[in-house]
Amino acid sequence: MGLLALLRKLRASSEQELRILLLGLDNAGKTTLLKQLANEDITHITPTQGFNIKSVQSTGFKLNVWDIGGQRKIRPYWRNYFENTDVLIYVIDSSDRRRFDETAEELSELLNEDKLEGVPLLVFANKQDLLGAAAPSELALGLALQTIKNRGWQIQACCACTGEGVQDGMNWICQTIKKK
Amino acid sequence: MFYQPVSYVSNFFGWLISPLLNFLKRILRPFIKWVLRRTTGLCELQRTCYCEPSGASRILGIENSLKQSKSVKVHTLLQFLDLAAREKRLTAAGSAQIIRNTVETICCIKKIHLDAHRPFTKLFGECVSIIWSLKQLLHDLEEIRTTAYDSSNMEHEKKLLELWNLLMPMKELDCRVSNLWKDIGFQGDDPKTDFRGMGLLGLENLHFFAKNYPEVALQVLSHSNHPIHGYSFAIVGINLTHLAYNLWKDGTAKSHIYNICCHHLQIPGPTLLHFHRFYCYLFIEFDKLWIAEKPATIMEFGRIRSKFENDIRSLLSNTNCLFKLNIPVEHV
Repeated sequence: MGLLALLRKLRASSEQELRILLLGLDNAGKTTLLKQLANEDITHITPTQGFNIKSVQSTGFKLNVWDIGGQRKIRPYWRNYFENTDVLIYVIDSSDRRRFDETAEELSELLNEDKLEGVPLLVFANKQDLLGAAAPSELALGLALQTIKNRGWQIQACCACTGEGVQDGMNWICQTIKKK
Repeated sequence: MFYQPVSYVSNFFGWLISPLLNFLKRILRPFIKWVLRRTTGLCELQRTCYCEPSGASRILGIENSLKQSKSVKVHTLLQFLDLAAREKRLTAAGSAQIIRNTVETICCIKKIHLDAHRPFTKLFGECVSIIWSLKQLLHDLEEIRTTAYDSSNMEHEKKLLELWNLLMPMKELDCRVSNLWKDIGFQGDDPKTDFRGMGLLGLENLHFFAKNYPEVALQVLSHSNHPIHGYSFAIVGINLTHLAYNLWKDGTAKSHIYNICCHHLQIPGPTLLHFHRFYCYLFIEFDKLWIAEKPATIMEFGRIRSKFENDIRSLLSNTNCLFKLNIPVEHV
């Protein structure tokens, strides 16, 4: 093993690595969120065919964030990425009221997955800047988040475009993991 | 992992030698230029025009030479041209005057006798015209890209519905918001949210492809609907708009663009048409690669997409690169 690789390994072991899964319907804002987390340009985003992955440093953690496309056609592949997930982030377009039922259904299916049992859930109520965006409290009711007993959960209002609220959500993740 | 002395040594040389060579080049460049100027009696711009073959190698040479010039006057001239491109003044009517002024100014700065170097003024003018037409076109592309798809805009809507009719001539769209959109590879029942960061440019590209190469577009669409090795036609199309846009924006595609301008004697410079055709080339080639790779699922898109991008970038790194649309003919 080369000296550089050895050094890299030593450095990496000092911080905990987390596997974070980013899911949600198409056009929810998952890729924008991912790019926002990685401090990258968000003005050239295209719909995700397949998936994106990025590693982000955050307060003592190395977050490996998996952003999987949300198109109905590729939702069946979501399950291939469940294994060893530390935190599930579910992104919702708070202004797309037409599809609230669809997004609630997908989320409840995810929460019933064996491989995701006990995995903390962070719901991002995205696009709060848009007119007619539902408040997080309204969304929590619609998603029946109160009935979740077997895992930690949190709903966080955010706007992935400006980054508002994103850091608060990430702080919750770090606190939840440290408590574990 | 094994210790690989060879790779370490070559890495070491890579790290040390290439910056060193670049450094030496930078240091020696003025000296070499001076010697050549004394011995040939020609400045670098003239040598490039006379010695380099027409096309990308000449135009890139001129572009680099101008960019690296230390003369304040040349820089002022470049800023003036950049401004003209930004203000879209390189039109059929306005371009000739700007180019003539540029050539005269350069001849004055470099002390080139206008009458004695007629061929130079012509060749140099062509290069300048193509270089700054491209810059102007990039501003145009940026404008189209940043125009978001707007479903209340009749023109946008008309183009979208036309795209449907071009790709699905046998099938009527039941209503504007319909699950049928998924048949041509949009994500949901309303395509308006799929254009995103590529804005109207994504739609224009798809529309051009379907309209100008209907047979190929339909063939590619049918490949994309393969039950196992399929992909989402429109979404991949928008993704390829992003690739085409990036390759033009970061200058990688210059070899192809400059060559095509010279080969087709499009002297004023590249137009939107060239961008659309470049896009069609990418789409057709991507489809070929996808079929050849036989991916097990759509989740392999990322891998194949980056392989494709690497292949295209390495082709474009050759100054002789000229992409020609390979219209595939399938045996019936």
